[in-house]
Amino acid sequence: MTLLEVNNKSAEPEPGPVGSEVIGSYLNSQNRISVRKLNFWYGEHQALFDNNLDIAANKVTAIIGPSGCGKSTHIRVYNRIYKLYREQHAEGEVILDGQNILTAEEDFIELRRKIGMIFQRPTTFPMSVFENVAYGLRLHYKLSRGELRDRVEKALSRAVLWEEVKDKLNHPATALSGGQQQRLCIARAIAVEPEVLLMDEPTSAIDPVATAKIEELIESLKPNYTIVIVTHNMQQAARISDFTAFFYEGHIIEYGITRQIFTKPGKKQTENYITGRFG
Amino acid sequence: MKRRSGKSRKIADWTVRALSSLAALIGIVFLVWILYEVTIRGAKALSPDFFFKLPTPPGIPGGGVANAILGTLVIIIMAALIGVPTGILAGVYLSEFGQETRFGAYVRFANNVMMGVPSIIVGLFVYTLLVLSTGHFSAYAGAVALAIIMLPVIARTTEDMLQLVPNGLREAALAIGSPRWKATFSVIFRAAKSGLITGVLLAMARVSGETAPLLFTAMNGPYWPRSLTQPTPNLTVTIFNYAMSPYRDWQQTAWGAALVIMAAVLALNIFTRLSLREAKK
Amino acid sequence: MAEKKKRHINADILFKAAASFCAALIFIIMAGILIELFRGSHLAISKFGFSFLTSQQWNPVTQQFGALSSIYGTLVSTAIAMLIAVPLSLVIALFLVELAPPALSRPVGYAIELLAAIPSIIYGMWGLFVFAPFLSQYVQPLLKKYLGFTPFFQGPPMGIGMLTAGIILSLMILPFISAVMRDVFQMVPAVVKESAFGMGATTWEVTRKVTIRYGMQGLIGASFLGLGRAIGETMAVTFVIGNDHRISASLFAAGNSIASTLANEFAEASDKLYLNSLIELGLVLFLITLLIQIAAQLWLKRLQKTVGSQ
Repeated sequence: MTLLEVNNKSAEPEPGPVGSEVIGSYLNSQNRISVRKLNFWYGEHQALFDNNLDIAANKVTAIIGPSGCGKSTHIRVYNRIYKLYREQHAEGEVILDGQNILTAEEDFIELRRKIGMIFQRPTTFPMSVFENVAYGLRLHYKLSRGELRDRVEKALSRAVLWEEVKDKLNHPATALSGGQQQRLCIARAIAVEPEVLLMDEPTSAIDPVATAKIEELIESLKPNYTIVIVTHNMQQAARISDFTAFFYEGHIIEYGITRQIFTKPGKKQTENYITGRFG
Repeated sequence: MKRRSGKSRKIADWTVRALSSLAALIGIVFLVWILYEVTIRGAKALSPDFFFKLPTPPGIPGGGVANAILGTLVIIIMAALIGVPTGILAGVYLSEFGQETRFGAYVRFANNVMMGVPSIIVGLFVYTLLVLSTGHFSAYAGAVALAIIMLPVIARTTEDMLQLVPNGLREAALAIGSPRWKATFSVIFRAAKSGLITGVLLAMARVSGETAPLLFTAMNGPYWPRSLTQPTPNLTVTIFNYAMSPYRDWQQTAWGAALVIMAAVLALNIFTRLSLREAKK
Repeated sequence: MAEKKKRHINADILFKAAASFCAALIFIIMAGILIELFRGSHLAISKFGFSFLTSQQWNPVTQQFGALSSIYGTLVSTAIAMLIAVPLSLVIALFLVELAPPALSRPVGYAIELLAAIPSIIYGMWGLFVFAPFLSQYVQPLLKKYLGFTPFFQGPPMGIGMLTAGIILSLMILPFISAVMRDVFQMVPAVVKESAFGMGATTWEVTRKVTIRYGMQGLIGASFLGLGRAIGETMAVTFVIGNDHRISASLFAAGNSIASTLANEFAEASDKLYLNSLIELGLVLFLITLLIQIAAQLWLKRLQKTVGSQ
């Protein structure tokens, strides 16, 4: 069954040209992460209902929807960060590299290296700029001092931050501006060479100028990483993403090529959200 | 409808204001009074002999409390070595693993009880545990007693300080692949550093002024501390023994020792306050 | 890289185990104290039974021991301390939060807190050598003159005694109670106070009708805290209460508290029954403390439940 059909099962049937185009592109591109029938609970309260999603490799997938509809909850399953909280649990399949993340007995530390996460507020560690980027490197690799320095520089350059901080490497990370701190978090994440980058509303706490820089950064990272970005900002989703998934109250209502979703959405709900009738 | 006279309301208000200020003043008067008396009386006893000589029998001049000063330092350091890591780890459990668990709730309750247990009861407990069973008073019994008093205080402040660290930081450390222990010590501790240190220093300050727990554990002695398994001289029990004695010069020495203890504890308190304020900037 | 990963997982298991153990230790120690106190006093428990709590006798020579005078002394000295400290703390908290300008309230607040940092043995010495003589010279004669017709102020004004112990205790618990009360006052939302002021109420009226009512449970919690501390305080009381095992109505008389008896007599307790009786005293004190804690915790739970409804 194709993804589109799976998602449409419980909704009104809406066939049309949209379907075949999307199916075509699915067959062509590889999927880095496949989500099947993901359900999630906060204690007794169910937050995600039978989520099915394919995250295409080396593309940017945006996840949009009104507040509290489960977007962040969904991506936090990918790197099992929800395990930090006792009353949260997930069921279903999240397949990465042939393994179901949710049930794999494997070391989730390696999983978290492969899947990097950027949070809504910059979460710089209380250390120097250099130490922030080096933290992950030291964790996963055995590197000489020279190698470490090179990798830190490389990560900062890829995050388009090197020029701005190269003289401030030993300054505390908190001395940087908000936008710089967020880029530092990105540098920190990509330093350990992940395959996937999860971004949970990365620019919502950042000023517009810095936001533009980060969006450019995301664009430049795309060839080498698979990026999933949760965003409240529809214009942002339309600008930078290749695929978009629309969430509503824990369900994935619609998923497809961004251009399609924003110009000719298949579902009424999607259309209502995009045109601002609610949300 | 009869109106309450504005005048009587104003008088009531004024009276309470006056009483409040008076009360605050009373508090300060007592503080100053105590500081003054201890300083004046204690200063008379201070001399090089006081700091460097062993005690002499009553009536014979030239004695000091050098052994007690050393003994106190030894006991406090030992107590810290036992109590601080244990307290911090307990606080780590409460903050990082025990927020929602039933075990955590039990521990928290026990912690509150322990914080309210009179220190003499702790001394009694360690007495039955370590003194009766081994047959002798000892420095390490005293240290254990002080450590037991420190433990819940440090656990509580550690939990409180760690809880102040936002969850986002925890998640970020874990998201990059940190194991729990590394995330806790490298990231979360660093974020809460000043609060944690303050908690430990204040607990140590409080414990160094304690007398009751040492009364029947380390007891006291007129000689240099020779072994950790013997009764060990210490300042606070010395103050107790000397002050209650009928000898003038011993009472004088007690004042000196009281001044030393009070000055040390207050200095530590003020120092930690100031450095906390500095760190906040 | 596989090597490095394996170590991490084992270290995490060790980490959680160590932390859990230290946390459990707190619980274990509390239980241990209860057990050891029972064990150490079983001789006295079996010999005296319930009469231990009701007997005023305390005679090491005839081997008759009773806790009544100690319990009485503990309760009375604590009651005096609370009667003085709670209202004082209330108005001090009021002063610091509502009345004093910030430039004044910070140093004054800090000075009050310093009172808490002073070790109790200092209070004891100051009490014995400075405060008790002061009381016996200036204050007690006055009390005797005007209130001597009551049974509370009879007998020679010696200086040391129940009253002195109570007053010094109140000084010691004052900073704790007022600190918590300050926090309670500060937690009252400004808007609530402002709307009262806006109706033309005076500061005292706002405090009485709004602030205190709003924070009543927190204020009572603060008092519990002071109560707990006062009951177990040893050194300050030992110096000034006089170590007398008779119960007397007069506050000028000497008495004893459980803690002071332990401090004064433990070193001399040579025979088993004497020791056991002392340990049983300790057990009684521990149980009283435990009860107060449980009551305070239950109270706080109620407070947490209803805070939202305020």
